[in-house]
Amino acid sequence: MLVDAKHPFDELDDLVKRTQQGDQVAFAALYQQCHRRVYALCLRLLADQAHAEDACQEVFVQLWHKIAQFNGQSKFTTWLHSVTSNIAISYLRKHKNWLQKVVSFENSGMDEASIALCGDLNGLDKLVLRLPERARLVFVLHGVEGYRHEEIAVMLDMAVGSSKSQYHRAKKLLQEWYEND
Amino acid sequence: MTKPNFDEFLSQQIANTQEQVQQPEPQRALWQGIEKAINEQPKNDSEPQKYKSAGVWRQVSAIAAATCIGMCVMYFTLSTPEQNNMMQMSQYFEQQKQILLVQYGNQPALTNDWQVQLQELEEAEQAIKLALQNDPQNAALLQMLAQVYQQQLDLIERVHQPRWQEI
Repeated sequence: MLVDAKHPFDELDDLVKRTQQGDQVAFAALYQQCHRRVYALCLRLLADQAHAEDACQEVFVQLWHKIAQFNGQSKFTTWLHSVTSNIAISYLRKHKNWLQKVVSFENSGMDEASIALCGDLNGLDKLVLRLPERARLVFVLHGVEGYRHEEIAVMLDMAVGSSKSQYHRAKKLLQEWYEND
Repeated sequence: MTKPNFDEFLSQQIANTQEQVQQPEPQRALWQGIEKAINEQPKNDSEPQKYKSAGVWRQVSAIAAATCIGMCVMYFTLSTPEQNNMMQMSQYFEQQKQILLVQYGNQPALTNDWQVQLQELEEAEQAIKLALQNDPQNAALLQMLAQVYQQQLDLIERVHQPRWQEI
């Protein structure tokens, strides 16, 4: 279930339809209903608060321009999550710094001080943000967002086997940290 | 109260990720920038040619600056210690920064607090420079300095020139 009980499908559907007709007031309401989920997904994927905020803005600007493409065949929130994942991954690629591109090293996860600055995170998010980049991406896409490893392999340009092994690596690390916490 | 086992914890927390109210709030106000962007950009992508040309020019100059920075940092970090020169690097980056600031001078920024963020990066720059005064050949410090410079340029570019991606 991707929609809050407080915001039933009807209301969200109505906001989507009105936004598709160019209603900015409806779009602002849509933002209010969905921005925290979008931001949270960006944060999980990017593990950087400032980048997650920028990516969240990108998602909503793109949403305004492309919402007409949403044809209602899937739930709006499912479509929104898919849009968000694609934009965040693309953002991650664009913002790798020169050193990461040249040396091709894997970005380690966030340290505890940076995680503390991200505000009120739940227990899993605090652990996920500590994961190394590839393990984190695969865990979020497969474990949280429900993508299949075959889909993740295409999205992240990696082998299906790598996606599976990164997922197990992530789970092992999370379990270790959870149990030692 | 006993701690749930890991699998229970995982499934409970993953279920919570679908609830908007349980998600973290962004630290800064994002709506203002979004509203500005959607009102400034034409909805059907039919940007005037002049706007497009300016965008292309800015992109080219930004890419050129980033490439120069990369090459410059490679040079400074991979060259022999005798060749390292913090002053030279600082002058070069300062020049690049001023070019971008002049270039975007008349253009409104998407966020109001970018100058605060820039100031924080400049403070980090000063702290690294101070450390380099005691250890001028420290390659790790030189890399950190270069990264802080890069972050400053990225910030200036990002707040003035959003490049919205295709879905």
